[in-house]
Amino acid sequence: MNVIIIRKTIPFYKIHILLIHMSETAHEIKEALLTLDREKLIQTIKTSLDKGENPQELLSAITAALREVGDKFESGEFFLVELVSAGEAAKTVISEYLKPLLKKIGSEGEHLGVIAIGTVAGDIHDIGKSIVASMLFTAGFEILDLGVDVSAEKFIETVTNGNVDVVAMSALLSTTLPMQRETIEALKKNDLRDKVKVIVGGSPVTEEWAKEIGADGFADNASEAVKLVKKILDISEQ
Amino acid sequence: MIESPKIGIFEIFSRDELYRIHTATLELLERTGVRVEEEKALELLNSIGADVNFSTKIVKIPKHIVEDAIKYSARTVQFAGRNKKFDLKLEGKRVNFGLGEGAINILDYETGSIRPSTKSDIINATKLADALSNIDFVMPLFTAQDVPKQVMPLHDLHASLKNTEKPIMVVDFGLDATYLINMAASVVGGRDKLKDRPILGMYSEPISPLTHGREHTRNLIEFAKAELPIVYIPSPASCSTAPATMAGAIVQSNAETLSGNVIAQFSKKGARFIYGADTTNMDQRTGVFSYGAPEWMIVNLAMAQLGRHYELPIWSTGGCSDSKVLDGQATLEASLSLFVAASSGANLIHDVGSFLNFGLTGSLELITICDEIISMISYILKGVEVTDESLALDVIDKVGPGGQFITQEHTLKFFKKEHWMPKLLDRQTRSTWEKTGSKDLATRAHERTKEILSKHQPTPLSKDIENDLDNELRKAEKKILQK
Repeated sequence: MNVIIIRKTIPFYKIHILLIHMSETAHEIKEALLTLDREKLIQTIKTSLDKGENPQELLSAITAALREVGDKFESGEFFLVELVSAGEAAKTVISEYLKPLLKKIGSEGEHLGVIAIGTVAGDIHDIGKSIVASMLFTAGFEILDLGVDVSAEKFIETVTNGNVDVVAMSALLSTTLPMQRETIEALKKNDLRDKVKVIVGGSPVTEEWAKEIGADGFADNASEAVKLVKKILDISEQ
Repeated sequence: MIESPKIGIFEIFSRDELYRIHTATLELLERTGVRVEEEKALELLNSIGADVNFSTKIVKIPKHIVEDAIKYSARTVQFAGRNKKFDLKLEGKRVNFGLGEGAINILDYETGSIRPSTKSDIINATKLADALSNIDFVMPLFTAQDVPKQVMPLHDLHASLKNTEKPIMVVDFGLDATYLINMAASVVGGRDKLKDRPILGMYSEPISPLTHGREHTRNLIEFAKAELPIVYIPSPASCSTAPATMAGAIVQSNAETLSGNVIAQFSKKGARFIYGADTTNMDQRTGVFSYGAPEWMIVNLAMAQLGRHYELPIWSTGGCSDSKVLDGQATLEASLSLFVAASSGANLIHDVGSFLNFGLTGSLELITICDEIISMISYILKGVEVTDESLALDVIDKVGPGGQFITQEHTLKFFKKEHWMPKLLDRQTRSTWEKTGSKDLATRAHERTKEILSKHQPTPLSKDIENDLDNELRKAEKKILQK
């Protein structure tokens, strides 16, 4: 479909060259991500943009490479620090180099959905939430990481202002768990509960707790969180 | 309880390495510093000459302050039982064992399923620990999932105070520790008496890396002032909240606990601070905070050596596992961690019976098994007594080549004292074992656990004291739930 549209504006031989370029670039992007070479990834993106390559296609190449990183983690070839580090490198180039250009042409770029994620108010434990955010990003979601000690108001504000699909809340302390409930109640009060799905996580969180407070789901580890989000958003596993 | 292990004190660092860990820790605290979320603590640290940035809340602590705080610390910490015969003196190489804490599920042996834990599970675990002779202190192994979350720690303590005479260590979970102190005070006759009979200790944590959370710091100060035992140690996972290198993770852990000690000692000189770290690794496939990791075990050895160097009472970990069921992995990890912790000479070894990843699930049967493991370890670490009589030359001479010892007076006199007798481990012949039902370790542990729970009645609180305690709980609940 795309090719036909492009054909109207670009002579055929040029398309051919562009396609070869893209596949070379895609290959380099993949290699940089799979070898966790952050510098190489940045250089590749910079050079490609200078050559006039389409930021949308570069983003697709990164997404495809990340999917492969995710597969390698699932199969046990990659470890968690490698997965997170590839995700972080990709996030940097996307937000610093690609997003500004995509915005200019009015494109948001492709993603599976928007997740607003944070550790609830009164709790400053960061690491679990960040790993989940990183894995969701690697799986193709757009992440709004609100950080730690996130108030119900902050979640409300984020949902009100953005196209948020899922609110994800973490809590490590049993005494801060009730904030997950309060945030859900605040969403209801502001007539936002039906607009988003809500998932909860954190070491003391159980299936029963998630049900009790009216969350849409709970996962006890980051990989499961990705599967959960895909399930509640009706995204089929590839 | 092992009064003083004669053998097996592993020291993993040379003098030079120990010195480098110490100086690196001081450099970290001076150069990078820690973040302190509690305003009062920032003011305190500022007043004693630390470099405090009130907007970033970063505190850089000069080394003389860290070293002064170590000097001020209590060298010996008394940890009392409701009954004096269970009092513990935390010092030197006296090794004591206690339950784990904070599990949210119980492995129900009879149904084989895992279900959310309730207050009655805490009561059972506490009763069991009260009865078992190798358990020296009690932590609420489970959390009461059947009460409102905000007041859960109060019920955990309530169940513990009623069902054991042994010293009790509770986790603050960020709840205002004053409530916990008031409840314990009601049992011994007031806050002043609690200082003399500290039946309650608090376990709280800085948040790695290098952060003292608001509630936890507030509780640290509260407990220091109340002159009660405080375990204030970090739980970083190497590769995620601490460096990947174990030396780096140890330095960071050391800085976290020692900066906590600065806050404690300058709040109240001589604060009863217990030193250590629950440092492990983040499993690279699942991301879990591993409870059976050898990384944690070696950190236990490192922290014990450092703690002895500082002359501080030492906290440690053993008896836990990442396994989901009561299987070979559970007993393997529990045994090895208990042996390593005991042979480090640490004073309080917790986590007996809290297993599954992140200590989320507890098992009563594992407590019973750990009691047997500890008994075996205690036997080994006592070493071999060498005296004229134990060298036994006379009896060997009497028996001579080719004789037997079974009928000798010397044998009758010493066999009980010199040998370890299993209570749970099976040494029957195969045919007898089959005739008695072919029971494996888990089944035997379950039967023994059931038997203890049906027979053992912990000494109850007097009616008046029980009323006071119940009132204290109700008062606290009302206040918290009204907020």
